[in-house]
Amino acid sequence: MKRYVTLAVFITLSVYSIAEARLKVVGRGAKMNFSADGLPEMYKPSFDIMQIKCIKCHTMERTVIAIQTGRAPITGQPFNKQAVKAYGIKMLRKPDSNMNKKEIRDVVVLLNYILDENAK
Amino acid sequence: MKKNITTSVPVILAAGLMVNLFFAGSAHAIPAFTRANNVECSTCHTIFPELNEYGEAFLKNGYVYFGKGKKKTAEKPKAPPVTADAKPAAAPAGDSVVKGDGDADLLNKLKAGMMISADAPVTTAAPVQRAEAENSNVAAGGEGKSEGIALSGIPELLPISFTANVHGTYNSKAANEFDFSTQSLKLNAGGNFKEKVGFFGTYFLYTEQPPLADTANTSTVPTNTKSDIGELFVIWRHALETPINIKIGRFQPKLGLWKSNNKLSTTNSYATYKYTVASSLFYVEQPQDAVEANMIFANRLFMAGGVVNRKNQNTKEWYVHTSVKVGGADYLANEPEIDLNKEESILDFLTLTVGGYGYVGTNGYSPLSTPGAAPRQNDYYRAGADVDLLYKLFRLKLSGVIGNDDSPELSSVSPVKSYVAAIEGEYTIQQNLIGSLRFEYQDDAYNIVRRYIPTLAYNPIENLKVVAEYKHESGFAYRTHTEVDNKIGTLGVTFSF
Repeated sequence: MKRYVTLAVFITLSVYSIAEARLKVVGRGAKMNFSADGLPEMYKPSFDIMQIKCIKCHTMERTVIAIQTGRAPITGQPFNKQAVKAYGIKMLRKPDSNMNKKEIRDVVVLLNYILDENAK
Repeated sequence: MKKNITTSVPVILAAGLMVNLFFAGSAHAIPAFTRANNVECSTCHTIFPELNEYGEAFLKNGYVYFGKGKKKTAEKPKAPPVTADAKPAAAPAGDSVVKGDGDADLLNKLKAGMMISADAPVTTAAPVQRAEAENSNVAAGGEGKSEGIALSGIPELLPISFTANVHGTYNSKAANEFDFSTQSLKLNAGGNFKEKVGFFGTYFLYTEQPPLADTANTSTVPTNTKSDIGELFVIWRHALETPINIKIGRFQPKLGLWKSNNKLSTTNSYATYKYTVASSLFYVEQPQDAVEANMIFANRLFMAGGVVNRKNQNTKEWYVHTSVKVGGADYLANEPEIDLNKEESILDFLTLTVGGYGYVGTNGYSPLSTPGAAPRQNDYYRAGADVDLLYKLFRLKLSGVIGNDDSPELSSVSPVKSYVAAIEGEYTIQQNLIGSLRFEYQDDAYNIVRRYIPTLAYNPIENLKVVAEYKHESGFAYRTHTEVDNKIGTLGVTFSF
């Protein structure tokens, strides 16, 4: 019995640690988004910016899928840190994106963090 | 009373139309390139058909989506590599080495597409979400299409779309002051075969022509429909593994910076591209049967040169174009290097494109077309320059051309020079609402005309736009000694599907 309990605790802890390593995703379809619960406090303001500004033109689902698959879902192009920076610059220059350089930088840093977490 | 009705009807129609459009539901733009590449219209257009810089890159890349068809040696990683202990998110398609006969590149892609699905990192998302993600991944870029279709080089989706125009025009000098007309229906086709050959074509299924003179036309529907090929050409991309693309067919020779439909206005072409001199029908943006070689050099320099076939004559016409782009995404749609850690600078948002062109030709009656007759020909040239400046929400377009025609009336040698210029300022009020103001000056040796053209374009749905434009044209026709004074207002709806 003790052996089963130990095994159960071990499995639970293993699963728990994996879940913590990657940012949790909530919702489905167009409402899909990352959950802010697992984010370090320092990234939460950037997360708020991303949630408000990025959905002006596209759903967060697009971002989540890009992070999860490593590919931009519309174009099929690789979605890595280099691509994140390029998308950031594109959004900075996009007319009416309403994002300044600091906001872009913060979101790029956040996405890099999520990419790193997802790769663990 | 009549005047009140005349002016109030268009206003009521416009108001009703706008109310309907404001409350229209959402929809997706679906013309040929959108279908083939699974992207939104706004990827390449500001308000269609005006192109943004990514649309320009797509055009210059022979209708192959950005990043595809690149040589592997040209791809240099700019970002620091992923740390050694981190698992790569996914293998890029081009990195998989697959041996075998047939199209090695395509097999690589097909097999990489399968491997991507298998290698996609396990996530904490629900299985349904993961499946959706993988499906999206396979569909992206067309990697998920059947091997048979892919190896044949046939586009999986029939690459055609349609564009229609409906206009309401008010012209106080016309017999029909307020003319509500179904203007045109055009079939478009475009895409690429295996990323090696690009193709494009437009076919006018219907264009409304002016009514026949002196005929008592009792019909409300004009019978004078017109079917014609606007453009039809293929592009051999990177011919013989060189950076040179060879374009052949009927197309607008690459002269100015903007193709004829690359503007907000649906009815007013740039005078620099559209003006003609006397009997000569030549104009800069005229589609012609031609062969053109073009290339992108160092990502920011575009060069083109070509030869045009003049019908019924043993003469050819020649042209060259060069344009350079500073700032903004380059001609391959690569973003500029901007240090996000530095403070904002004007240069972060500034994009400047400068282009110049020259065209030399001869038209008229040659001994070949009229046996025994003395040749009556017009030797002519055009030399022009364009500037396109973009800064945040502002865009400024400058265009100028000078021309010389030795005998534009084909009767006697009487050389005339022409000078035409246009300046247009554009402001993005919202992403789907853009206003512009254009001034044109045209001295074509027969008329001196100034035009003032304000335009407001609204894009409630990406594949539908409403344009309100006004043209005030004033000047003097100094060979006939008559004043030119026209005021024309147009409310047009254009939609593509």
